[in-house]
Amino acid sequence: MNKDSFVRQIPLITLLALGAAIALATDRFLTPLNLTNVLVQASVITVVAMGMTFVILGGGFDLSVGSTVALSGCVAAAAMMKAGIAAGVAAGVGVGALVGLVNGLVVTVLGVNPFIATLGSMVMVRGIVYLFTGSEQVPLDGTLPKPFLDFGVERFLGVHYLVWLPAVLLVALSWVLAKTPYGRGVYATGGGREAAFLSGIHVDRVITSTYVWCGALSGVAGVMLASRLQSGQPTAGEFYELTAIAAVVLGGTALQGGEGKLYKTVIGVFIMVVLGNGMNLLNVSSYWQRVAVGLVIIAAAAADQLRHRR
Amino acid sequence: MTPILVAEDVSKHYFATQALDHVTFAIAPGEVHALVGENGAGKSTLIKVLGGICRPDSGRILLDGSEARFHAPADAFAAGIAVIAQELRVVPSLSVAENVMLGHLPTRYGAVDWERTRAAAKEALARLNLALDLDAPVGSFNFAERQSVAIARALSRRARVLILDEPTAALEDREVERLFEVIRRLKSQGVAVLYVTHRLEEIAAIADRCSVMRDGRVVAGHGRGEFGIHDLVVEMTGREIDLERPGSGETAGAVLLHDVTDERLALRERHILGLAGLLGSGTSQLLRRLFGAERGARYTLRGEEFAPLHPSQAIAAGIGMVPNERALGLVLSHSIRDNIVLPNLKRFGKGAFARMDERAIDDVVRGLIKALDIRPAVPHAVVRSLSGGNQQKVVLAKWLAGRVSVLLMDEPTQGIDIAAKTHIHRLIREFAARGNSVLFASSELHEMLSLADAVLALRDNAIQGRFDRGSGLTERVLRDAMHGQR
Repeated sequence: MNKDSFVRQIPLITLLALGAAIALATDRFLTPLNLTNVLVQASVITVVAMGMTFVILGGGFDLSVGSTVALSGCVAAAAMMKAGIAAGVAAGVGVGALVGLVNGLVVTVLGVNPFIATLGSMVMVRGIVYLFTGSEQVPLDGTLPKPFLDFGVERFLGVHYLVWLPAVLLVALSWVLAKTPYGRGVYATGGGREAAFLSGIHVDRVITSTYVWCGALSGVAGVMLASRLQSGQPTAGEFYELTAIAAVVLGGTALQGGEGKLYKTVIGVFIMVVLGNGMNLLNVSSYWQRVAVGLVIIAAAAADQLRHRR
Repeated sequence: MTPILVAEDVSKHYFATQALDHVTFAIAPGEVHALVGENGAGKSTLIKVLGGICRPDSGRILLDGSEARFHAPADAFAAGIAVIAQELRVVPSLSVAENVMLGHLPTRYGAVDWERTRAAAKEALARLNLALDLDAPVGSFNFAERQSVAIARALSRRARVLILDEPTAALEDREVERLFEVIRRLKSQGVAVLYVTHRLEEIAAIADRCSVMRDGRVVAGHGRGEFGIHDLVVEMTGREIDLERPGSGETAGAVLLHDVTDERLALRERHILGLAGLLGSGTSQLLRRLFGAERGARYTLRGEEFAPLHPSQAIAAGIGMVPNERALGLVLSHSIRDNIVLPNLKRFGKGAFARMDERAIDDVVRGLIKALDIRPAVPHAVVRSLSGGNQQKVVLAKWLAGRVSVLLMDEPTQGIDIAAKTHIHRLIREFAARGNSVLFASSELHEMLSLADAVLALRDNAIQGRFDRGSGLTERVLRDAMHGQR
């Protein structure tokens, strides 16, 4: 293996080494129950992190995903109580896409720095969630339709639907990014916006579309979370933006855009989830867990820098 | 005169590449010493070794006759050796005075003494015969003025050897003249100036001596009066290169593109039209407008009215663009293959979300790599790792992969060595000979005279005149048209 392909495989090697270390430290890690648990825990954040990957590949950044998860979950639950499951899911995903569209237009049309633009929408959307729900869960009385709740617990071929969904999305979206003209446009825009523009790419449209993907996927995640929590929770999705960004970085996607792969982001998600799971099993205090997660994020970002200094 | 700085039998290698191969080089006080060579000849490495940026594997650096060991650029700077790189080390947000004195600001009771800072900065600038507003941020000045600030900083540290790395690459002719005056002043003050350049015609104007490098060795040295451009080129490349083959050598066909407001801007089949003008004369804007990257162009294309609002429209109409910077022409972090595909996504994919024909892409990319002799001949090689000449070939390949019939080129051979330049000129001629048309801007008169069938002279965003080959196209006419009567 030459140096380059070794560097490319660092995320996977990190995950395997981490898993091996935890498995050696405790025999409760490699049990079917615990591994299932890890998969389900990773499912929602995986969908958010895939959306984040679109935005970062295109050269942007999105801090609003956590708030969007909460908004979508609550809107989906409310719509579902009135108009049924399909309408609820559509409303949840649609409102997420709408948040993404607004982010994208603020960034491209108004030219606001993505970090600031989505910092603003992160706070604003969270405020809207509390206004919309009166800071109560949705629905306050009654329960969501049973098939929707079943989706959050049932399995297909021994694997939770909640895990199948991100797996299918991963395959489909990876294909879009790697094989279609649209996908090449995303990579090119992130890798060199002016060069892409002078090659005939509609860069503003591409950038806006990455925020729409991110918002819509956050919407999907919000709906999944509502199914799992059996309600829309206004406090849901807090710190998801941090976990998602950390996962993207851990997966080796370049923060300046244009380089990276969706499946690597999923590896990044699993590094985060397995680390948390392992520390729980080993009874590490939650304060130390935060310290550890912070260290991992910084280490990943430093690795990103080293890679690009070569 | 005894030399002030000497590299004695210096060698340096990077992995398998022998960047410097037993090089001996000396420069004396008050001497302007030009250093020329193709890209990769070892000029940059020699500068780095002399400037303390890297250490030689073997050999010695002598300063004032005794061996100098530089561990960091700061050591060399403190010893009086200053390197002025192409990317200037100035801080745009800080004032002129602070930039000149950066790193050794005079203090009083621990606080910066602004009085003395300004006085010292003023003195250093005066040595260059320059009076800039000391309190204005450096970012408000143009490149030539920033360059002067960087030189003034070196003087404020009592630099005795000034190393200028392609100082005129981004300068207009008038500014080049000013820089030469500065160099002559410094020379009269006893400063040794090492002058690296790609523009061979500058050497006769400024240099006392000239060293030619090739393959990590100094292959020739010349004194005043021995600076024949043809001989230098032969020494740099190791072979004869035809600099003066004229124009496309073809007879013009039908008009392809024709400006609505100015009939002098007309592109014909099999013809190469030059846009002569300095930075800021409007050549880049004109090309960008024709390509739809900026608004405002109105012209006819194959007889039909056309006013592109976005590059995608121009590309669909068969127009390609080679911008003046490689970072604008290429996504540097992506592969040769991805860059070639980029403007041709519509050719290889039926819709935005349809699968692309990867096999057809592979065939086209492999064919172009071969036809243009792009090295390395590896479709997945990242273009950042390619030499300037090969990068520019990839930019050309992007458009040859599509079906463009008009190529707009902005400084097509800027910053690339002469062999690659000749190759690219040949590719441009071949493209025109296939019935296509080329409009290119260049600030090098030699390139203009050897490539163009006709030249439009631009000044202040307006076409000053059109000169056709065979009816009055000479270097003299062009110079006058671009600068006014001297």
